[in-house]
Amino acid sequence: MHDLIEQLAARLPLDFRILYRQFLLRVIDLETLSIQADVTAFLGQFAGILIMLSLVHATFNYVGYTVFTDAAARFAFCQHMAHYQIATTMLVIGLVTVISWDSTFPDRRDVMVLSPLPLTPRTILLAKLCASTAVLGLAALSLNIASGLMMALLMGAQAGPAWGFIQSLPAWCFTLAAASVFLFGSVLTIQGVTALLLPRRIFLRVSAFLQLAAFGLFLGVYFVQPSLTDPTAMAAPENQLILGSSPSYWFYALFNQLDGSLPREFAWIADRAWIGLTVAVAGAAGSLLFCYVHTMKKTVEQPDLVPGAGGLHWAPAVGNQLQTAVTHFSLRSLTRSRQHRVAFAFYLAIVLGLALSLLRSELERQPEMSLEFVIATFLIILFAVAGLRNVFSLPISLTANWVLRTTQLRPSPDYVAATRRALLVIAAVPAWLLAASLSLHVRPTRQAAFHLAVLALAGCIVTESCLIGFYKVPFTCSYLPGKANIQVTFWGFLIVLLVLIVPCAEFELRALQSPLKSCFMIAALAATLAALFAFNQWSAKDAAIYFEETPEEVITTLGLSV
Amino acid sequence: MLEVQHLYRSYRGIPAIQDVSFKVARGEVVGFLGPNGAGKSTTVKIITGMLRPNDGHVLFEGQDIAKDMVSFRAALGYVPEEAHLYTYMSGLEYLQLVGRLRGLEERVIEAKATRLLALLSLESWQHSPISSYSKGMRQRVLIAAALLHDPKLLIFDEPLSGLDVVSGRLFKDLLEMLAAEGKAVIYISHVLEVVEQVCNRVIVIAKGKVLADAHPAELTKLMSLPNLESVFAQLVQQQDTRATARQMVEAMQIGQM
Repeated sequence: MHDLIEQLAARLPLDFRILYRQFLLRVIDLETLSIQADVTAFLGQFAGILIMLSLVHATFNYVGYTVFTDAAARFAFCQHMAHYQIATTMLVIGLVTVISWDSTFPDRRDVMVLSPLPLTPRTILLAKLCASTAVLGLAALSLNIASGLMMALLMGAQAGPAWGFIQSLPAWCFTLAAASVFLFGSVLTIQGVTALLLPRRIFLRVSAFLQLAAFGLFLGVYFVQPSLTDPTAMAAPENQLILGSSPSYWFYALFNQLDGSLPREFAWIADRAWIGLTVAVAGAAGSLLFCYVHTMKKTVEQPDLVPGAGGLHWAPAVGNQLQTAVTHFSLRSLTRSRQHRVAFAFYLAIVLGLALSLLRSELERQPEMSLEFVIATFLIILFAVAGLRNVFSLPISLTANWVLRTTQLRPSPDYVAATRRALLVIAAVPAWLLAASLSLHVRPTRQAAFHLAVLALAGCIVTESCLIGFYKVPFTCSYLPGKANIQVTFWGFLIVLLVLIVPCAEFELRALQSPLKSCFMIAALAATLAALFAFNQWSAKDAAIYFEETPEEVITTLGLSV
Repeated sequence: MLEVQHLYRSYRGIPAIQDVSFKVARGEVVGFLGPNGAGKSTTVKIITGMLRPNDGHVLFEGQDIAKDMVSFRAALGYVPEEAHLYTYMSGLEYLQLVGRLRGLEERVIEAKATRLLALLSLESWQHSPISSYSKGMRQRVLIAAALLHDPKLLIFDEPLSGLDVVSGRLFKDLLEMLAAEGKAVIYISHVLEVVEQVCNRVIVIAKGKVLADAHPAELTKLMSLPNLESVFAQLVQQQDTRATARQMVEAMQIGQM
């Protein structure tokens, strides 16, 4: 098999193969990885994580299936899991598409570097497209390698062990492939249409916002959409809008249609999948054609330097000069760097998902101060602040940090204070305002106001916790892989906090019933905040602001040579 | 004003500079010359406080800079060799960042940044991202950032790199004006004609050691050579460039015989 692939690959033109390999390594943005990162190893790890998830899904599906004894319950379980896996595959494909947002269409660097070489634009475009689809294919295959087979086995078992599997497996594979192509094609279509409608300079700016919007949309839909695989729920009139507008249900219906288990009254949902797929493929083809005949030429023709717009450049002071400098620097780095935007968008999407689910429950019933509401608003603050702190650790331009070193005129506590200000202004305050706007309809008002006061203190406590040991300017320090394991630290910190949040929320609800307990809670939070603040200021006194960790010399020379 | 005393720095046991000593007085423009890898950048990094020497001291106005780095940095303006900037910012935003980090008042930053950008012909592009700037434009932003806080000591590392003829002439005049204002200037360049024209003194460094420290005219007279370029070539024993060029052409033709 390997030899066959090698032989087939050898028949492809050499220039295509070389470009394909280069573009494949660039699909995932290298700057998001650490300095010593190996891209092939990274792709291997990425596939490994998805395969592990697939094995977990497969085990869960099998165990869940065997728990039920009657055929109807087993069928309902399989249907629920089928939709869950389609939605998860679409989410993963969507996230990979967003992370590799600009990698399908040749950018200015590609055009300028490759144009002088004897290559046709068609080869460049095809190599780019193949590299992007290869990564998406790797993601889809890895995520379903075990769970897909298990799902086909279980679904097929409904129609008879042998024949059912033979019928279910191709249906399952086709559905997942179609869902992946639909998402990828939709993103390409949106990019192509935007590029067609807007001037190139404006398109590049809008594209960044579209990328964020797509990220939030994929995560938001995944977390917020209800499970409607039960035939009664699918038939309910109030659910028709969701079924008709959610692509994961379209492809779930498509799978059932191909599998032969879709009731006739739901055929219209599967039809949406076919229509969506056709539109996405046609749109993607059109976008690629447009890029081939128009955008690649325009990229070369665009002027190297265009005077910047003199419009609104409002940048208010947010404290002293250093605090303003660090906050503005953080905000600009966050909004103008693709990888930092995407990384922060991950956390913002969770915040958005929580906010939307709260909004939905508020619209559905009388809003009241419930445990669910308290926990959700705590999580909004927590994910916003801790997410930003995590993104602060991603370096943006290490070579430009010399300016921060040569202008370091203040003691370390001032820099800690400036980073605190940035965390508060960019994450804590907006998250608190979001929670406050969600609390407007919560009754009684006194309890809502008290909760907002608690939330403000909690936001400050999370901010102070994030500052422990953080003696650097945001986005300016790289870390050595394996030494500062920021992911482990962050997720460990998060798990501990999540464990604490439920009892804290329960305590707050009890405190709301008694003015004395309320005062005690506020005092306890204020004391915790004061202690953390004092600790951070005290420990920063002797700390040096650092910019890059340098590895210690493993070999110490004795200096004996002449 | 600035006194460098017996600097020594090694990387993994290999010395980059050894016993480097020199002085720069107020109102003096000192040329700092040397071939690639001579130790110029290491010396400059130590003077700017970005690198600690293994041995030796840097004194500024009689004080060891290691003991009060903050006061020294407040008086230092630095233009590095490579135009490394936060390229997603505009020229104006970059100057605002530098001004705020240096603690200048907001109105002073606005007034100085706008004026310097206009004088350096960057007014029309002050809101454009630096990523779109040419090399010369980036260099001009660096020069503006170095002048923003009216420093006492200025270090220019290859400042003419990428500058057009007009900007180059402006820069040469600027050096003379800065010296007349009493600033001390260290000027690192490979353009020896300019060094000859604007520097009061020239320090030649090679293989980490100071080889000469004198006025350009004194050097040429002492070594009986026509110009500074000849002096430099003689001092650092540069390779036979014609022979190397011939070898490069031969290397191009490998496989064509």
